[in-house]
Amino acid sequence: MTAYILLAVVLILITDFCDTASQLFLKSAINSLDLHVNSIKKAILLAINLIKVPRVWFGFFFSVVSLSIWLYVLTKYDLNFAFSIDSMRYILITLASALILKEKVSVMRWLGIFAVVCGIALVAIG
Amino acid sequence: MHITKKRHITLKILLFLIGIDLVETFAQFCFKKSSLSLGDIQIQSFGDIPHFIASVLSTPFFWFGLIAVILIFISWSTALSKIDLSVAVPVCSFSYITVPLVSVFFFKEQISLLRWSGIFIILCGVILVSASSREKGSTQ
Repeated sequence: MTAYILLAVVLILITDFCDTASQLFLKSAINSLDLHVNSIKKAILLAINLIKVPRVWFGFFFSVVSLSIWLYVLTKYDLNFAFSIDSMRYILITLASALILKEKVSVMRWLGIFAVVCGIALVAIG
Repeated sequence: MHITKKRHITLKILLFLIGIDLVETFAQFCFKKSSLSLGDIQIQSFGDIPHFIASVLSTPFFWFGLIAVILIFISWSTALSKIDLSVAVPVCSFSYITVPLVSVFFFKEQISLLRWSGIFIILCGVILVSASSREKGSTQ
């Protein structure tokens, strides 16, 4: 039983690392395009421009890996349980935003993220 | 041409992100439906994976989910062009509130009092993160 749970945790953490990588590639591509989106037309234009950027495809690759593992996890585990372990992504993505994208993460933002992760842990225990 | 970019979150962006969450919840709902309709598929070796993927692709709910994912890609990119990644991601944790609700109504899973308090704390966290994007010096 413990091994069964541990396997889920490892699989979900792999999906979180993949998602973090995917978000980093996407956000850095968006930053490099520097488009000002103020209409649906421009939103679609942004999406079309993005799929021409190679690193976005690296992001897609990580998303597909993540989605495949995620779908497998969903066939075996409770949706709420799976989502609770998945909360680790908030810490990973915030760390990556601060360290790689050089976003300024204030104490208040860290507190908010900590609350989100705690809340998700409670949802898991509950 | 230099465009002055507003990096802090506005009510419009907040509502937009909640909208993305609802579509995300719909996508999760579709993927769970798709997985459930497969029954019990055993993956014991890498050789079983192509069979697993083929079975997933044959369920209609997978394709509904995929359309939702494309919609999310367009709207998520738009949101990210306006605000920090470390703000957009936590604010999107609204799906931790909507997904359990959907689990209750469609899959008959249970929500305890503890779980409700967790949902409340997530909400507080989202409010803190949103507020942090308005602090002085947090804009690039």
